[in-house]
Amino acid sequence: MQISKKIVVLGHFGVGKTSLIKRFVDDSFTDNYKVSIGVHITKKVVEIAADSMSLILWDLEGTDDIETIRNAYLLGTHGVIFVFDVTRPSTFQNLNSDLEIIKKKLPNIPFLTIGNKTDLVVLDELKQLLEHNTISTDFLTSAKTGDTVNNAFLKLAKLLNANAK
Amino acid sequence: MSEKDRLEILKDILFTDDREYAERIAERIAILEQTVNERNNLSTKVNPIIEQQLKEFIESIPTKLGPTITATLKEEIRINKDEIVDALYPILGKMIKKYIAQEIKLLSENINGQLSAKGWRRKFKSWFGGVKEEDLILSELSAASIQQVLLIEKDSGILTASYSKTETIDQEMISGMLTAIKTFVEDAFNQKNQNLELIEYELYQIHLQSFVNYYIAIIISGNYSLKSKNKVQDIIFNFYDKFMEMKKSKLLSTELIEKELAQNFENADI
Repeated sequence: MQISKKIVVLGHFGVGKTSLIKRFVDDSFTDNYKVSIGVHITKKVVEIAADSMSLILWDLEGTDDIETIRNAYLLGTHGVIFVFDVTRPSTFQNLNSDLEIIKKKLPNIPFLTIGNKTDLVVLDELKQLLEHNTISTDFLTSAKTGDTVNNAFLKLAKLLNANAK
Repeated sequence: MSEKDRLEILKDILFTDDREYAERIAERIAILEQTVNERNNLSTKVNPIIEQQLKEFIESIPTKLGPTITATLKEEIRINKDEIVDALYPILGKMIKKYIAQEIKLLSENINGQLSAKGWRRKFKSWFGGVKEEDLILSELSAASIQQVLLIEKDSGILTASYSKTETIDQEMISGMLTAIKTFVEDAFNQKNQNLELIEYELYQIHLQSFVNYYIAIIISGNYSLKSKNKVQDIIFNFYDKFMEMKKSKLLSTELIEKELAQNFENADI
């Protein structure tokens, strides 16, 4: 049996949302940065236990103010991934309040926080920095190297599957 | 006789020829003045010269200015390709339409079916309806046809079931994108309870019929008239009634819904 789930990927400008999706769906990466406008939709089918799950990924354009996200795009969302850039503190300084806003908009659904671009920092220093800013993340990934990207999306798929049962 | 008179007599004797010559010059200057100052006279003299010059100039354009004009036009076309296409599009569109209508007219004249019952019916329809026969043939040839039907969850954009005559790119992604476009348009214009109903692209139209929890997207090729729209809506409502009954009776599987979709839309005459 195949079920389909809508996942929205949110975050500030240039944090690597599209690159993460591209890595997960096509296993590819490009350094050419193109700003996402509006929404771009892709799909990947994953196997969770005995079931196939079709993940419909809504890559929403980046915004510095999470409040301004178009609510219409969030309707019917089954899961959320919030991405920040570990090299730019401005994308995670207000992380906790950003997450509060999103959770208010999308209550009671599986939610993951991802710190991306770990290939550009020293991991130990990064962990200290995040700890210092009282920021907890579910995954630290690199869309460029592919590190931990699949794990993050599969984790969300498992949460969605568990939620559906 | 005074000295002055004697001097005049002497001048007459000495300058007779010169005076006559001066008088002739004065007369010619008067004629020239008249020619220059009076438009008609001047035109008579100057126009043939200008005409000759113009003629020579026009004849020399291809050789003297031709290469420059061609190079300029080529450069302008290269720089403003999109604007030129935009400007030519309506003209070319009309020309192509006219050409196709003409070709079909020729074709129709050669078809043996001219004498068939359908041909006569068309002729009568044309005579009494005041519609050109070629237009009737065109509308028959480009009759609307359902290519694809997608039953989509309204909020999430998740595809519930589909029916398709031809293979297309991933239907789940189409459903997602259609939902994104639909929600964007409805949200952007901030009109409550207003729905995006039709998307047109080249030879296709996407009819969007919204319900409370779902919407149906129907991809149609050909001439989608108001009459066709009414027929499509009847089929949609008929299908949706059955779908709701299936939901109530818990007999809801993708296979069953797709079977129902095919039954309703596969041979639909619209």
